[in-house]
Amino acid sequence: MTSRRALSRMPFVDRLLLDASRHNAVLLLLVICCGIAVVGAFIIRDLRAANAEAQEIYTGSVNGLQRIGELQYEAQETRRSTLYALTTTDSNLQVEYADQSRAADRRVTDGIAEYRNEAKSTEGLSLADRLNHDWITYLGVRDEVLASILEGSTQEAVNLDLKGGVPAFERVRRDLNEVKRLYGEDASRREDDLAAASRRSSYKLVGIFSFTFLLSSAAGWAIQRSRMLSRMQLAHLQMEFVASVSHELRTPLAVIRSAADNLADGLIRDKDAMRKYGAILQHQSRGMSDLVDQILLFASTEDRTNRYVLQPVSVQRIIDSVVADTESVLRGAGFTLEMRIEPNLPDVMGDLGGISQCLQNLVGNAVKYGGDDRHITLQASASNSGLGSPAELRISVSDQGIGIDSSEIPFIFDPFYRSPRVHAAQIHGTGLGLSLAKRIAESMGGRLTVVSQLSVGSTFTLHLQFAKGEDMEMAGAMARQSRLSRT
Amino acid sequence: MQRSTIFVITALLLTRPPLDATHAFVHVPYSTLTEAGVASEPLVIVVNRSNPVDDVSFSELRKIFLGTRSHWANGRRITLVMREPGEPERTAILRDVCGLNEDQLKNHFLHGLFTGEILVSPKILSSPTGVRKFIFNVPGAIGYLRIGDVDPSVKVLRIDELLPEDKGYRLHVQAELVNGN
Repeated sequence: MTSRRALSRMPFVDRLLLDASRHNAVLLLLVICCGIAVVGAFIIRDLRAANAEAQEIYTGSVNGLQRIGELQYEAQETRRSTLYALTTTDSNLQVEYADQSRAADRRVTDGIAEYRNEAKSTEGLSLADRLNHDWITYLGVRDEVLASILEGSTQEAVNLDLKGGVPAFERVRRDLNEVKRLYGEDASRREDDLAAASRRSSYKLVGIFSFTFLLSSAAGWAIQRSRMLSRMQLAHLQMEFVASVSHELRTPLAVIRSAADNLADGLIRDKDAMRKYGAILQHQSRGMSDLVDQILLFASTEDRTNRYVLQPVSVQRIIDSVVADTESVLRGAGFTLEMRIEPNLPDVMGDLGGISQCLQNLVGNAVKYGGDDRHITLQASASNSGLGSPAELRISVSDQGIGIDSSEIPFIFDPFYRSPRVHAAQIHGTGLGLSLAKRIAESMGGRLTVVSQLSVGSTFTLHLQFAKGEDMEMAGAMARQSRLSRT
Repeated sequence: MQRSTIFVITALLLTRPPLDATHAFVHVPYSTLTEAGVASEPLVIVVNRSNPVDDVSFSELRKIFLGTRSHWANGRRITLVMREPGEPERTAILRDVCGLNEDQLKNHFLHGLFTGEILVSPKILSSPTGVRKFIFNVPGAIGYLRIGDVDPSVKVLRIDELLPEDKGYRLHVQAELVNGN
């Protein structure tokens, strides 16, 4: 068929798009959806990452600075409470102040340990160790000062504090300021990291949006292109159909017109010639009628659903119907029909008219391309399912004609397909017969297969399902209901 | 020095104060009945945990509580911790260790501080918790507690190599009143 050849000449992209268009462009829309899903996933991932980073900055730096502020306060509280004990001679109050000082120093010690655990850099670890050492040194002095205060040796306590406490506490204060500076630097670094991550996210999003836009544009173009190609292909098919049908009609019309002109002009006068012209007119008009019938049938089988009412049909009835319907064609073409019917075949599920039409087309095809041997074999047999029961009925129509080239077999069931060899041999036809037969077979839940060898012959086989027990019961019930309704 | 000796002798000659009849007696751990049939519990001598001393003789204890011994063997200054006047623990120490009553003790310390024989007067604390915390904070401190008030923050001293649970332990205080008993 020319459309096939035209298709094979198409660019790869167009062929791909045409294939996609056969799936109603769903695939292309799926691509867009995938693109949007990918964009969404990227956006969500980036938002989550930015949020996590911001939270980390907050917990790592802001909370850290807050904790260091608390540490500074508690360290001051430790010293303050110690010195408050100097302001009284009441031992009970002094003990209270000592208690407060020790409670504060425990909080500082815990805070330093926590800071050390969280420190990641070498500088941070080193600073934590130094702070811990300085704090322990100060606490040693603080204990001596407290003891002196509680013993009542105020002067000694003051001297101890001035000599050891003040410098030790100053070192602690410096260490804490250093920790604060480190936290600040860490916060700044993290802030820079976040800004960089944010920039990267923006670039990514722009890239993804651009990619999605391009993808969507490409998909849109592809959809439009595939639709256009589909329409072009349809138009091409229609043109080919019209050309083919015109050609098929023109030939018999020309013969009819010529015969009619001869008759009208009085050129034909003797009876034999008149009879011959009548036979020509009859043959040509019948051919035209068959062509029109085939076209109408092809149009009616476009919708393959629910065309036939399936019911159990006996194989013998099918064979009888086919033989009766093709007898004149076979006889006219001088063909002999050999029948090999397996005995006792069960009924099949199908429509008698449909099956008969399908087989008529196959027989007609065999007559057309059967070659000089003029012998057709009609065979009916059951295939074995291997489970003890027959799987399906196979009705084959075989000829010993010109055969089909293996490269053409994939196309012979396409509507309007005609082999170049057939064209060359000037064998007329519409290219609808096999396509119709296949559609009819599939409408009844069956299938049509072919085995052919060039210059040897072809065998077309119709596969149909056997009727099951419930099918038979339902058919019986319907028949009874039909009889009742008639009465 | 001679005057302080007179004070000590006088104190020893003084009769022991009578037991407070208003106290109710309850059963507490380590409590025992005195010869007079009164429930009592051990009174322990406690020091700072860093103090290397584990055992003290009764006579040394007396010197410490009278302020005549001012330093530990390691050179640390001894800081004496007492409860407020009228507390049973203080009364027991005055009676059993110092052999003085409140007035005599007051005079003894006034005299000692005046003459320089005593360096510091005792620190007065209002609760067993205060005593514990004071001793915890001061390495040279020594005080006394009911055995039920002792915790790991302080160290209990043997007296004449006897612990409170040992037979012959000499320091006891009247058991405390518990609600409902």
